[in-house]
Amino acid sequence: MNLARYVISLFVILSLNFAIPRAMPGDTMTNLLGEDVILDDTLVQEIRREMGLDLPLREQYLMYWKDIMHLNLGYSYHFHSPVLPLVLERMKWTLLISAPPLIVGAVLGTLLGALAGWRESMRSRLQTLIFLIIYSTPPYFLALMSLYIFGFQLGWVPMKGFYTTGSAGNIIHHIILPVVLMSLFSASRNYMIMRGSVIQERQMLYVLYARAKGLYDSQILFRHVFRNAALPIITLVALDFGFIFSGALFIEMVFSMRGMGNLIYSALLYRDYPVLQGSFLVITLMVITANVVADVIYGILDPRVRGR
Amino acid sequence: MSCNISAPKRSPRYIPGALIFLTFLLMAVLAPYIAPHDPWKRYEPYLGPSWIHPLGTNDMGNDILSEIIFGSRVSLSVGLGSAIISTLIGTIIGASAGYFRGWVDDMLMGITDIFLMIPQIPLVIVVAAFLKPSPIMITLIMGLLWWPSLARIVRSRVLQVREMAFVGAARVIGFSDRHIILTDVLPNTIHVIMPKFMLTVASAMIAEASLSFLGLGDPNAKSWGMIINFAFSRGGFLNGYWWWYMPPGICITLSVLSLVSMSLLLERDQVSEHVTS
Repeated sequence: MNLARYVISLFVILSLNFAIPRAMPGDTMTNLLGEDVILDDTLVQEIRREMGLDLPLREQYLMYWKDIMHLNLGYSYHFHSPVLPLVLERMKWTLLISAPPLIVGAVLGTLLGALAGWRESMRSRLQTLIFLIIYSTPPYFLALMSLYIFGFQLGWVPMKGFYTTGSAGNIIHHIILPVVLMSLFSASRNYMIMRGSVIQERQMLYVLYARAKGLYDSQILFRHVFRNAALPIITLVALDFGFIFSGALFIEMVFSMRGMGNLIYSALLYRDYPVLQGSFLVITLMVITANVVADVIYGILDPRVRGR
Repeated sequence: MSCNISAPKRSPRYIPGALIFLTFLLMAVLAPYIAPHDPWKRYEPYLGPSWIHPLGTNDMGNDILSEIIFGSRVSLSVGLGSAIISTLIGTIIGASAGYFRGWVDDMLMGITDIFLMIPQIPLVIVVAAFLKPSPIMITLIMGLLWWPSLARIVRSRVLQVREMAFVGAARVIGFSDRHIILTDVLPNTIHVIMPKFMLTVASAMIAEASLSFLGLGDPNAKSWGMIINFAFSRGGFLNGYWWWYMPPGICITLSVLSLVSMSLLLERDQVSEHVTS
């Protein structure tokens, strides 16, 4: 059942990708090639024929699927490269700064959020306020501020890029600030959800019963409440993957890192549509994959689903 | 079970958030009257803060404080506009799915799940790149994309409400489905819609600021994100002109913060009410 859902999603998204350049105002060929491509008339006709743009839409659609099956996402005239290898090369780097935060953020956010929802104190209020502020700030603005403070003023971290020498230590030095920032963002989202979830759970009867049974407070929280409250988080983390990834795009632009974010930024500057669409497609694919993985994990953890 | 007896709806905890948001709202409405200068008029560029220009001037010589005051108009209207559109869509879809159930539910929720999985910011970037960006365009794109999570929330609430006795009574009397949804079901759903609406305004404002930062906004429409974008790309940042890039960022954070905090409080009061009732 779920698998069917993902296949349909994939189908719809790929079709959307076909429809966008054709439905948007302007010449379809420009929309497919990008706006900094300047060609003379005979070449235009030739490419138009080659791309099948004079065929009926139905056949273009079939051609589009054939290309997708051959992993052909088009050619970027701006970068002089097929789109897919270009995107994958950049993707590695973006994953490097967005995958660790996804995990750190999930662990940190759920733990702190659960504790804050369980007992209110001066400290937990302050903590909630800090996470709220992070939650409410556009990622790139926080990145700008911290780059200014830690990079420009204090000189603790390099101002730009992924590496200068390429050694592991050097790369870590470059990505540490972006990773910390992204982790805080990811944590702030999970924190808010987990806190609300625990506040709701702690009013349930089983909590009262556990207390009447004489369990310690921490036992109730971590053995019972946490498990129930954390389940929805798994699905949310997967759905959040798209958000975290988008956040990484902006943070890359601020830190001038040559990942997907910068690719999208320069593709935007030159209106290089194939790259924009290819990036969108690859990101969507990753989000769908993350959701499938989350479903599997959910199935393992939740006995109700496992039993089915 | 729960010890706190139905928290009063208008508790003082709402006051800070509401006050901040009202201030920004007033700022947007009264912009032409309270801005010290015309934000499009040119003075000497790169001035520091002074009595005449409290936040200095930018590279074009525009008064930054006036820009920020006028910027509240773009940022708030994009946020509110797209939230209104997406809330309407989400409510209609969620309420129909929950009320009619059956194949309507399956179909609508199937569509919702697909939309839920599309990474929204990248899609907005792609679509906005093709179109000539303007605040109205961005409001529309986001409004048409932001509804799925609300639709899910509304649906699960409507599934509860439709089983309540008064809905059954209305059905027995013979009111039409439309009438029942509008007068019986939705009024009992509004308290789950409101907090989500505020969150949507907040995230739309952040998204608008992010898109403007990418240069996907209208460069002539002064929004907070656009001011930061120019401060970043035209040297305000590297020269340490904090009065240029800090205030618009603080405005975004404060207004989003006020919305999110009010939304959280609403949601929490609703939880305790739900439990005690």
